[in-house]
Amino acid sequence: MMKVQYENLLYTAIKYLFGLGVTFFALFPIYWMLTMALKPFAEWSPTEVHWWPWDPTTLNFLVLFFRKDTLVEWGLVKPAEPLIHDTATKAILNSLLFSTFGTAVALLVGTFAAYAMSRYRAGGDYMFLTFRMLPPIAILMPVVIWFSTLRLMDSPIGMILLYSLFPVPFVIWLMRSFFDDLPREIDEAALMDGCSPAMTFVRVILPLVRGGFAVTALFIFILNWSDLIVALTITQRISVTIPVQIGLFESDAGHMYGIMAALGTVAVIPTLVFGLAIQKYLVRGLTFGAIKG
Amino acid sequence: MASWLRDPQRFKILLQIPIQILMNFTAMIPFALTWYVGMTNWIPQIAIEWWKAEFVGPLNFIKAVADQLFLESILRTLFIAAVCVPVEFLLGFLVAYVFAGNFFGKRFFTLAAVVPMMVVPAAGGYVFYLIFIGSGPANGLLQLLGVIKDPIPFLNDPTWALASIMLADIWQWTPFIFLIMSAALLSLPQDPINAAYVLGATKWYTFRRVALPMMKRPMMIAILLRAVESIKIFDYPYMMTGGGPGYSTQTISMNLYESGFKYLKYGLTASQSLLILITLIVVGWYAVKPLRAAQIGR
Repeated sequence: MMKVQYENLLYTAIKYLFGLGVTFFALFPIYWMLTMALKPFAEWSPTEVHWWPWDPTTLNFLVLFFRKDTLVEWGLVKPAEPLIHDTATKAILNSLLFSTFGTAVALLVGTFAAYAMSRYRAGGDYMFLTFRMLPPIAILMPVVIWFSTLRLMDSPIGMILLYSLFPVPFVIWLMRSFFDDLPREIDEAALMDGCSPAMTFVRVILPLVRGGFAVTALFIFILNWSDLIVALTITQRISVTIPVQIGLFESDAGHMYGIMAALGTVAVIPTLVFGLAIQKYLVRGLTFGAIKG
Repeated sequence: MASWLRDPQRFKILLQIPIQILMNFTAMIPFALTWYVGMTNWIPQIAIEWWKAEFVGPLNFIKAVADQLFLESILRTLFIAAVCVPVEFLLGFLVAYVFAGNFFGKRFFTLAAVVPMMVVPAAGGYVFYLIFIGSGPANGLLQLLGVIKDPIPFLNDPTWALASIMLADIWQWTPFIFLIMSAALLSLPQDPINAAYVLGATKWYTFRRVALPMMKRPMMIAILLRAVESIKIFDYPYMMTGGGPGYSTQTISMNLYESGFKYLKYGLTASQSLLILITLIVVGWYAVKPLRAAQIGR
């Protein structure tokens, strides 16, 4: 009897050690980004590693939103200090704008198509799945040729178009899985009672899937917000987004480690919040509705 | 009410019009254009408009195949996928297996294990850049433990740089496997497993012969989706090494990005993009079959 208990104890100990190891591996990079964002200039690249900020400051975050002149005026920095001259406000607003509108268009377009596929056996579902398997850069080269002909390069319209094109397969398959979860008898009953097909869709079915619709919206927003490659190829100056801006913050003094880490932190907050909010549905989303989770 | 609103066939077409417009305008027209541009030597500094560029015919496709950097980047990407996907799968499965069942602190551990997946890849790549630079914590930790004396130039050495990028990829995407396999383990029917125990099977035998076969489909889907995504890998090399040192960490996406948008060889890049697209459309068409079977067949 004692032997069994010892074995259990050992197993539990190993389990918790393993769990702590996983936690450390998973969270250390996030810890490092957060602490780097709180470190002052002198601690960015010290000769000996500073495991935590010895002299924490919020200056890196302020630099993202206020111009250097303003900060000098407030007495927070000296004029000689090497700092970036641009703020990240434009990139943050651009990211918000493109992700939101791109998500809205993708949702609208994709939900219609998903309903047609779920209830009217419309084709093309396979095609969208294959479309998502292709590397974005190979799709973007053709798009750049087309957009430069139309003068859509570096324009908000072009970015919103692409941010609605790329996540559309996810919208279709996610919404389709939510539509398929509803019994067909609901549609049939509505049609029997004299509802037109359009009315059935708008008045009966859409209200029933609004939970799934919200999940899909957050999921697509995360995808768009995380995008680097589309923004990198399409934008130059006017419509840069946060991920592009992270790579752009360089000055005469070299990499602006702390400021870039601060912007990284700002970039990660919405995806973390939304991601944890829809954690239950992440598996369904990422597997295109194949695994319900 | 207008009678055309009542026709289900019309409604079906109506539902599909928006997506047709979006797909044709932003994907199909450019794709068709690329067939022409891929056969020109268009470089935007020389000829501003693509229709003014010199037409060279299928020569570009031959050039593309003979491009050594392009071929090397393909092999390198396949190598990254071949290492990362199995490691992520085994690690993710292991974590899912250990964290299965109820124990104190399960919610915390699960949450911690899922978090990396929700980090914006560009930010994640930048953090790993910070971790692997000379004065970063990776070297700091190894020196603290006394493993090394002088810092390893992780991002300036071809082998170490590739390994660092793969580690970052493993960090971010192991949670993906963990989530899928957790769901699979949770939805296992308990009766056959209990029956196997009652009949005297060992724990390992039950796992191998009873539980594993029942999880075949989620396993295949997880591996397939990870393999597809790892072929696309771009954010980590771009943020951590920029494809360097030299070209030693250049993946397919990095290669196309550099030749297209850094050296502005639009014509050649267009033909290379076409080659990649056609290959992956054919491969993808067959690869998504198990996924589709799961979606339709439930």
